[in-house]
Amino acid sequence: MERRAHTLVLALGNDLLGDDGVGLEAARRIAGQVDDSVDVVETGEAGLALLELLEGYERALLIDSVVTGRYPPGTVLEFSPQDFRRVIAPSPHYAGLPEVLEMAHRLNLAFPQHIRILAMEVQDPYEFRTGFSEPVQEALPALVQRALTILSRWAHQQGVEKMML
Amino acid sequence: MDESIQTVWNEAQTRANEAYYTQRRRITVDPITRLEGHGKIDIFLNEQGEVERAYFQVPELRGFEVFSLGRPAEDMPQITSRICGVCPTAHHMAGTKALDDLYRVEPPSPAKKIRELVYNTFMLEDHALHVYVLGGPDFIVGPDAPPGMRNVLGVIQTVGVDIGKRVISTRRRLREFIAYLGGKVVHPVLGLPGGVAKGIAPEDLPQFQQLAKDGLEFALFTLQVFKDVVLKNPAYLDLITSDTYTHRTYYMGLVDEANRVNFYDGKIRVVTPEGREYARFPAQAYLDYIAEHVEPWSYVKFCYLKGVGWKGFADGADSGIYSVAPLARLNASEGMATPEAQKAYEEFYNTFGQKPVHHTLANHWARVIEMVYAAERINELLNDPEITSQNLRVIPTATPTVGVGVVEAPRGTLFHHYETDEDGILRKVNLIVATQNNSARMAMSVEKAAKGLIHGGEVSEGLLNKVEMAFRAYDPCHACATHSLPGQMPLVLTVYGAHGEVLHQQKR
Repeated sequence: MERRAHTLVLALGNDLLGDDGVGLEAARRIAGQVDDSVDVVETGEAGLALLELLEGYERALLIDSVVTGRYPPGTVLEFSPQDFRRVIAPSPHYAGLPEVLEMAHRLNLAFPQHIRILAMEVQDPYEFRTGFSEPVQEALPALVQRALTILSRWAHQQGVEKMML
Repeated sequence: MDESIQTVWNEAQTRANEAYYTQRRRITVDPITRLEGHGKIDIFLNEQGEVERAYFQVPELRGFEVFSLGRPAEDMPQITSRICGVCPTAHHMAGTKALDDLYRVEPPSPAKKIRELVYNTFMLEDHALHVYVLGGPDFIVGPDAPPGMRNVLGVIQTVGVDIGKRVISTRRRLREFIAYLGGKVVHPVLGLPGGVAKGIAPEDLPQFQQLAKDGLEFALFTLQVFKDVVLKNPAYLDLITSDTYTHRTYYMGLVDEANRVNFYDGKIRVVTPEGREYARFPAQAYLDYIAEHVEPWSYVKFCYLKGVGWKGFADGADSGIYSVAPLARLNASEGMATPEAQKAYEEFYNTFGQKPVHHTLANHWARVIEMVYAAERINELLNDPEITSQNLRVIPTATPTVGVGVVEAPRGTLFHHYETDEDGILRKVNLIVATQNNSARMAMSVEKAAKGLIHGGEVSEGLLNKVEMAFRAYDPCHACATHSLPGQMPLVLTVYGAHGEVLHQQKR
């Protein structure tokens, strides 16, 4: 699949479930601060759908909420796909991501070589409501900043790789 | 939750867990891998290591009704489709049909065909996901295969890389077609009261007709894979027909005027465990037939047939427990409306030599037969002369009061019921989602499987997987099954002892 942008920001979540939508809000803020080498996509899907969304990009940054219960709400956690099996209570959105990656590999699909996941610890994403809890609301700018830092590092790497070609 | 309450709650939970572990030998299958959304099964063994009870629990999503009240009913097809990312099109369509009913408006024939077309496309791609990715590993790879193989990678290894690519690309094309008509697959914006927002441009028709042909070929191919891998393996057939996976319950499904399976429209038909018609009613009458039972250990309400009554988690004609989803739909019907699906339907019942078929694992086969029907119906609709008509909407003029909409979601019958004031502002919302209709039978399946497969405290990985198989066959989606609670529902944690005594209970 041909993509014009080489980097994807993929936000996972449901903005009807309070804090669960924090990744979506972060994505909206990020969208205004990146150029057209980055696609910003929001989704409520998981599992195999991620394969379709990730295909064709060189780099992908996933942004989501997570309930590990081990960190205060608002804490930003960073994972690589290899970390998933070690997470005690991952968000259901992750279910199958390692499998999706393995599948892409076996099927020889063009898939991101670099994937990072930023997940914010949230509280009670199980009730239908809009808006975020206070700690999550306060930590949102930090999440956005962290994402932008990763994106700018990638942009730099991309530039270096281009020069070397 | 308030922070101090949260602290007390967490401490209490820790204590409860400790008490629980010291009291019982507990085997937990957690998380249920591959299920979309998370669930939990707790199995309680007695001193002899026999299964005493097994509980199947899910995390609840709270307060959907409360969230909806005060909003315009017209927003519901959009809002409900966002309840979760698993079956947005089913909620969107049930919501749209509830609005037709609410505003007493009959969509023009081309609009109905567009809706049915989109709906069958969704059913085909969603069923394909289950067959190959979620439930298929149990059969295509094999129930006794090592856990590392019982996933989509194992499926690819079994059927080959080319087939894997075909599954991916077919699903993508089907989803692109849904997006063409409905915008984003996850947030469809197709349905309006009295019609649809968009039709098919004549110049785009040929590419979709080609997709329909490919989709049918894919469905027939899947049926062949199922027959080759599963039906030619006597061990699988023994497993399917074993008592462990058998329940004699009522079955419910939507049927057309000739009692054939229909996903989008028709009457709701219920048959008895002996296969006789028990009821046949329009969506609007659902409350006359369906009631909900509450158990202290689950937030899911257990649906049952009001006229038969709740007799506990029991089989048979005296118990009001019924089932929905592919097997139930086939059982509740008298056939399929398309030729290849009808052939497969006959083969299905001939193989088992009975109707209804009571074997839960036969859901997998029934699902493949439904894929064939969906694909054939897509072909019929895309070759219908009306399908490119732009006569797509009747503008509603009636004053709204009550509207009920029903469709067959991939996972079973889905009800949306709205009541509004004269301005169309929601005053009451009730949803019965597919998994909720199945919740009682599913709980029975989990417990029966646990009892049949675990003895003397001996538990192997394969056994636990077979317990999970008991409910995975239903393709349950719990993300929305527990929606129907008030915003501030009581939360109760209960720990049971060997004789059913409550060892610990915490409320908020």
